Amino acid sequence: MLSEQILKTSKLTKRFGNLIAVNQVDIEIKKEEIIGLIGPNGAGKTTFFNLITGLEAPDEGQVIFKGTNITAMSPHTICKLGMSRTFQVAKSFTEMSVEDAIRVGAYNRRGEEEVQNKVDWVLKFFELEDIRDFKCSDLGLSSLRKVEVARAAATEPELLLLDEVGAGLTATELLKLMSELKRLNQETKITLCIVEHVMQMVMGLCERIFVLDAGELIAKGIPSEISNNQRVIEAYLGRGRYSEPSSTG
Amino acid sequence: MKRKRSHNLNNLLLFLVIALFVPLIFGSNQYNILLITTVLIYGVMATSWNIIGGLAGQLDLASFAYLGLGAFTSSTLFIRFNLTPWIGMILGGLVAVAFALFIGFPLFRFRIRGVWYALTTTALVEVLKVVFNMWEEVGGPVERYLPYFSGSIKYMRFGSYIPYYYLILGMLVIALLVNSRIAHSKLGFYLKALGEDETAAEVLGVNARACKLRALVYYAFLIGVTGAIYSNIYGYVHPSFFNGPESIKVAILGIVGGRGITYGPLLAALLLVGAQEFLRASLGGEVSGLYLVIYSVILILVVLFKPRGIATFFQDRNKKPAKQEVKKKNVV
Repeated sequence: MLSEQILKTSKLTKRFGNLIAVNQVDIEIKKEEIIGLIGPNGAGKTTFFNLITGLEAPDEGQVIFKGTNITAMSPHTICKLGMSRTFQVAKSFTEMSVEDAIRVGAYNRRGEEEVQNKVDWVLKFFELEDIRDFKCSDLGLSSLRKVEVARAAATEPELLLLDEVGAGLTATELLKLMSELKRLNQETKITLCIVEHVMQMVMGLCERIFVLDAGELIAKGIPSEISNNQRVIEAYLGRGRYSEPSSTG
Repeated sequence: MKRKRSHNLNNLLLFLVIALFVPLIFGSNQYNILLITTVLIYGVMATSWNIIGGLAGQLDLASFAYLGLGAFTSSTLFIRFNLTPWIGMILGGLVAVAFALFIGFPLFRFRIRGVWYALTTTALVEVLKVVFNMWEEVGGPVERYLPYFSGSIKYMRFGSYIPYYYLILGMLVIALLVNSRIAHSKLGFYLKALGEDETAAEVLGVNARACKLRALVYYAFLIGVTGAIYSNIYGYVHPSFFNGPESIKVAILGIVGGRGITYGPLLAALLLVGAQEFLRASLGGEVSGLYLVIYSVILILVVLFKPRGIATFFQDRNKKPAKQEVKKKNVV
């Protein structure tokens, strides 16, 4: 059960004119894993998410989700199948209350009779009950991020893609978010895939990590392997004196 | 939320009771009844507009396109085939819906939104006006008068404006109920979400195109049926029913009243169109055009002081304690 595959991409490619944003990327994610996807700015992480969730169509390759080819499907169909995501730049429903925003997600799997129960459960799980009547435009960044995760979790996905949820948060907020994501993964068996720049979060949370650089998958493995991987260090810090200690003596 | 709904229902009942007695007060003067009916027609149109423009956030400027289609369908069937407008108005609504689907499907398929949606829908009204001007069998540049039977209920020819007033009032109640029902249902939440951010809504499982089409269908049907009654009130049809500037006015009423608030557009219609018709009637003879100046001043004041709509004036008053609480919590 644990080793069962939930998502697989094969030779996934996306070009914008001459720029190859995502180049022949093959990854596979197993059920109930927490996966990290890292890479320098412009590595193609967000484009990769867009390809998987149907917001953009790939030029080549396939996305297989739970054994179904979802390559040309629309985002809402993919969500019905059990995949949702958050956005790097928070796309909040500013004029809606926190509760209503979560309700939009909860309607994905629940009818009118059950939807309120689901909303209450999500509000409780993410400790948003105190601010349930607040308008999203009145929220600070950390609450806003949390509402976005809660909203996506309310759709009851099997795979949840989080695009830089930790960006801009303070250290304590980050720790709290990490523990909530961990709990979400353990209690609801949701598979998580996290794009993140905050290394503390990636290394502390993820079981396996994929590294993208200039659209290519350059490394994959457990966190300790990744942090010692020569290509990953080069991708982040550049090639130069640092990576050629032998030639200079 | 339950309490809020019953609160709204009480307001609706209060409004209805007052509205029911209006003809008793002004009934002696047919002209006054016609003026009030006109105000209510704008109320129906702005309330229907609220579904697509307020909830779904699509700046639709084609309301009189659907009004004209409803009017021409019902009137043509009446004139040519002697079909009673009671059936004709339903068919008028359906023709408006068919046209809305025909237009809406490609628009939403190719994700036309924002200013482009507004421009496309504006063009729609003008195109239909030209088409009906040239289409001699149905329209043409000369008014087509409906057959006149004095006091025939069967053919919706009453010989008095009072029954029409009640018909429009009935349409208004239906439009308000449809609005409120949608706003508190799955479709309403989905429309609000995609009105705010379509991409974010779609990854939460919202089928944006299907939801927008459904909103368009409700909107077109309500206005199409109203159009059929409209042509009966005035007793004729003419391509000038496809009225671009007035379509924009309907959208203005919806925005000024309070987007997405069920009774907001009606409030704006009562206030603005009411003031406009009253001023036109009372000042028109002496200083022509002055009513437009006063109308504009009211509009500017609303935009300055209540940018979220006239209806928020009442909402804010009800919610004041809650707002202070918000501030306190933010400080902590």
